[in-house]
Amino acid sequence: MRRPPAITGLHGAGGIRIVTLDWKPVSWATVVDHYAVYADGALIGKTVYPHFVHRGLGFTGVTRSYSVVTVDAAGNRSAQSSPAAVANLTSVTISGTPIATVGTFDGKGSELALSPKGYAEYPTRFPAGVDYTYGTSTPAADWSYLLPGPADKWAGTKNHRATFRFDLPAVPEQDLDLALWLIDSHASLAASALLTVNGTEFGRLTFANGATKGSTIADSTYPGSPLKPSYLEVPLPKALFRAGQNVLELFKDQGSWIAYDALGVFGR
Amino acid sequence: MPSRRTFLQLTGLSAASVTLGIAAPTTADATPARPIPDGAFALGVASGDPRPDGFVLWTRLAPTPLAVDGHGGMPASQVPVQWEVAEDSRFRHVVRRGLAIASPDLAHAVHPEVRGLRPGREYFYRFRVGTQVSPIGRTKTLPAYGDQFTFATASCQAWYHGYFAAHRDIARRAPDAVFFLGDYIYEYGIVAGDNLWRAGVTVGPEHGVEIETLEQYRLRYSLFKSDPDLQAAHAVAPWFLVWDDHEVQNNYGAANSLYGVPPELFVHRRAVAYRAYYENAPLALDSLPQGPSSRVYRRYDIGSLARVHLLDTRQYRDPLPVDEADRVSEQRTIMGAEQEAWLYDGLRRSRAPWNIVAGGVVLSAVTDDRTEQWDGYPANRRRVLEAMGGAGTSVMLTGDIHRHVASELKLDFADPASRTVGVELVCSSVGSNGDGTDTDAYAKDWLQHPYMKLYNARRGYVHSTMTRSELTTEFVNFPYIQADADAQPNVVARFRTPVVDPRLEAL
Repeated sequence: MRRPPAITGLHGAGGIRIVTLDWKPVSWATVVDHYAVYADGALIGKTVYPHFVHRGLGFTGVTRSYSVVTVDAAGNRSAQSSPAAVANLTSVTISGTPIATVGTFDGKGSELALSPKGYAEYPTRFPAGVDYTYGTSTPAADWSYLLPGPADKWAGTKNHRATFRFDLPAVPEQDLDLALWLIDSHASLAASALLTVNGTEFGRLTFANGATKGSTIADSTYPGSPLKPSYLEVPLPKALFRAGQNVLELFKDQGSWIAYDALGVFGR
Repeated sequence: MPSRRTFLQLTGLSAASVTLGIAAPTTADATPARPIPDGAFALGVASGDPRPDGFVLWTRLAPTPLAVDGHGGMPASQVPVQWEVAEDSRFRHVVRRGLAIASPDLAHAVHPEVRGLRPGREYFYRFRVGTQVSPIGRTKTLPAYGDQFTFATASCQAWYHGYFAAHRDIARRAPDAVFFLGDYIYEYGIVAGDNLWRAGVTVGPEHGVEIETLEQYRLRYSLFKSDPDLQAAHAVAPWFLVWDDHEVQNNYGAANSLYGVPPELFVHRRAVAYRAYYENAPLALDSLPQGPSSRVYRRYDIGSLARVHLLDTRQYRDPLPVDEADRVSEQRTIMGAEQEAWLYDGLRRSRAPWNIVAGGVVLSAVTDDRTEQWDGYPANRRRVLEAMGGAGTSVMLTGDIHRHVASELKLDFADPASRTVGVELVCSSVGSNGDGTDTDAYAKDWLQHPYMKLYNARRGYVHSTMTRSELTTEFVNFPYIQADADAQPNVVARFRTPVVDPRLEAL
């Protein structure tokens, strides 16, 4: 048996609930069947690409030791590659203090308006978009489970806005964090939305493509759920905020819908 | 004692031909070191790449064809496989025999290349491993002259959508050759209650995911090739194989995936997909992939009757057009510059009355938004039609669309008065889309054109008989395929195409 070479250059980056791994593939001289990927010695997946995303991790950061074994066309296995220690990120929903939230960060959108499949009513229920005031509005009535985009004919093929208002007793002493979790999104057109804080354009939030199932299914957590949840957490500089009412705006002027799990502003 | 290298040179064998299942050192023991589990020939036998003096034989040892590691239940060691070729089905007149080494690197596939036979003749072949003997295959060498040549064309065999009545009927008719025009496998997950329409079968969860690794591609070939009617069609005639997209991934082109895999990653997927394709097809060694590349466009001469050009319209194609100016650009190519030059040169040099050009996707003009097929590459199409116009009458064979279509190839499809340079015979699918119906909502897109003479949306295959003066073609379909493989064939249309002044005359 000839052992194929092990890969080199294994490195990774942590995200919320995921770790993304990349490495330098072996040369074409080795006909690869697949790369077997290990975390702390346990097989977590196989891929033909020099790239792997470890999914389904927790919301609290944990450092794991990753390594990769090359399996060649004959079934021969290389030695383990040099390991890489990578931690997933700790979510601000764990490390931070909630200031204002809508929905619960639980992998389900069922507590939100029109969930699980009322999207056809969106144009009549939210003709001017969503405008939600924390402490006064209620999720089940006032925060649509979907934020449509201009690619959605059922929502009028136009841009859509969601406004989230909340009070701060004073300008925060440290930066805040925005957590925007999705249970799912369109599979190829999740695209992005423009985020504005108190009238200042903060920038674009780019969403991960999902499975185009969250418009009719509310739960991403049951075994075999077809949904592809994703997690956006963004630091927001304290200078953007003020005492009294603050206004966050999501303006979906690209692509198709996203399906919320929950949205919240967290203090550090 | 000579080194291994010297030994191989002395015996006239390259190391590659031994390690790649073409041959074996003359001193190799024909008996496996260890017994091979029963049922080693569960995936059948095949022949292909026919020439006037020989062909390529194929088998892949797999006593447990659906073993999830893709190795078919074989031990991870080299195994000698004997083969013999006879003039009669009882093997009283064996004319060639040899030994090839099946190795785990190629999933224990062997591709012995047989030479030194007589042209235009039927031969029979079989393999032996240990005490096990394979089913007998029948094949033919290409003729030296060729006054008549019969061939079937088939494509798109989604195993999970139904049974292979088409292959059963092809096997019954025993044509001189079979053209398979792509989508030999499909990469999709196979899931009961979703796309598994073949009645009475179940598959394990390992088949329920989109395939990506070599072991998964090998397993998918094993699943499809376990069909007895597909095996029978392989065992009855040499196959000319062309690939399309699903041998890798739906609608891929070059290194571009439509499913969000970046090109620098996707080439790794293409490499294993091409590898599994070679391992499971009766292809000559020059089609063995090198990394992510594989040369599968190639040429044959059926005596002086017809020249055959097999195209690859996937590996070198430009990406989908970004706008109309891009679509109609002179630079656009579905074949790549090198293959284009090769085809035009081959057409120009051919003295045969016919040229058979086989590709994965439809050449004829249908609608400008069908950018996956040649409608997305009109400049390349114009160049091909011009080259066809300067050569013998062309017979374009394609599939992909899961419909029977017959079309006259116009030198300029926009000008109905332009010369007809040949015909295009589009075969429906063997399995893909299940039972089907005679017509459907797409029919009007095709039949709006005066050069389109047939549209039928049931499953089936096409059978043609070529002589030096004319081509007669039967479009065969089946009333159903999902319930079982027993549906009776129905000839839905017959056409005659004269070699001079070609057209489709309904018979």
